[in-house]
Amino acid sequence: MEHLSSEKLAYLVDERPSPSERAHLKSCTRCSEELNELRIQSHNLLELAALRPSPDNWESLETRLVNEGLIRNKQERFRRFGITALPIWIQATAAILLFLGGAGFGLNIGKDETSNALSLDKIIASTPEIETADEAARAVVLAEQAYMQALLHFRQFSDKDDENQMDDPLNRVEALEGLLVASQEALRLAPTDPLFNGLLINVLSQRQEMLKQISESR
Amino acid sequence: MNESQLIRKAIQGDGSAIRSLYERYSPRVYAVVRRIAGDDDLGNDCAQEAWISAIRALPKFRGEARFSTWIHRIAVNSALQAMRKAESRQKREVPITETIVASETPSSDALLAQRLEWALDRLPGGMRKVIILHDVEGYTHDEIGKMLGTAAGTSKSQLFKARGKMRELLKSLNTQDNREESETWSI
Repeated sequence: MEHLSSEKLAYLVDERPSPSERAHLKSCTRCSEELNELRIQSHNLLELAALRPSPDNWESLETRLVNEGLIRNKQERFRRFGITALPIWIQATAAILLFLGGAGFGLNIGKDETSNALSLDKIIASTPEIETADEAARAVVLAEQAYMQALLHFRQFSDKDDENQMDDPLNRVEALEGLLVASQEALRLAPTDPLFNGLLINVLSQRQEMLKQISESR
Repeated sequence: MNESQLIRKAIQGDGSAIRSLYERYSPRVYAVVRRIAGDDDLGNDCAQEAWISAIRALPKFRGEARFSTWIHRIAVNSALQAMRKAESRQKREVPITETIVASETPSSDALLAQRLEWALDRLPGGMRKVIILHDVEGYTHDEIGKMLGTAAGTSKSQLFKARGKMRELLKSLNTQDNREESETWSI
């Protein structure tokens, strides 16, 4: 007796058999059992449950969504570090430094992991080549860690005894200058990013205001 | 917050809304891309690409289809695209003699699912795509043909080959199990 081919049996899982195929299946236990197994297999495939991705997948997706400007409110990120109460200009700086970190600073940290120092000069001066997506992803993660560490230190520092430092117009101008350079560098890398364009305008107007106050006071 | 509110907020770049959508749909998105990819690393990359594409395309979502259907289709397309790239880079050949390594004693349903996933991973790429899209995800041959850029008949013939190959793979596992069992008894 000639048995039905495995492709023919697979076809019969969801198609009607011809009269000759039906007759064969009635008389051949091997083929009818095999067809039954194939039907069970297809049924089991349909019942396969969804698979839960690793929790790390969200972390890396979120980083990419932020870098691509698809997540615009960073509250979720800042909340994780307990620093949502910080002034908005510090959070804006975080966005810029995080962005710049992704563009280059992270690689420098990667090369010298013993150093945790974070300085704006270092960020702006560093222009290493990022050649692969892995390098870029690693750079972002390292820069984020370094930045958040620095931001927490800043918070401790500002909570203690430096509350009045930013009231000094010269200090504010100096901080605004740093923010200006960082905004310009961010815009060089992402000229159409609405967040950085908005920040640059804000920084320029605040700096002008401060300079005006200083010149009026003299 | 209902789904359309979440979508509106996600379009505005609200991280919490995007995360809620992710929490809700990531298992289904991940399952289809992981199975089509046939590999954990490629599956993770595909899932991420699928979500990036979906969030980018969110302003174009008109609500004509259900969000779950819409994002599922994006995930499938993303996985198929990644597979095309991966296939053009290298031809993967996996020996079918590998055994399933279970980290703990699974229930019979879990064991069955594990065996099916194992066999799916070992099907050639073309067959795997079709059997997943048809038998697991329930797409028709016309839909699969459109997704793959082939005729519906090609999808059918690939499906029949895939079912047969899958059956062989599962039989080889059963034979292996029976051999191990008889060796255990003979000791």
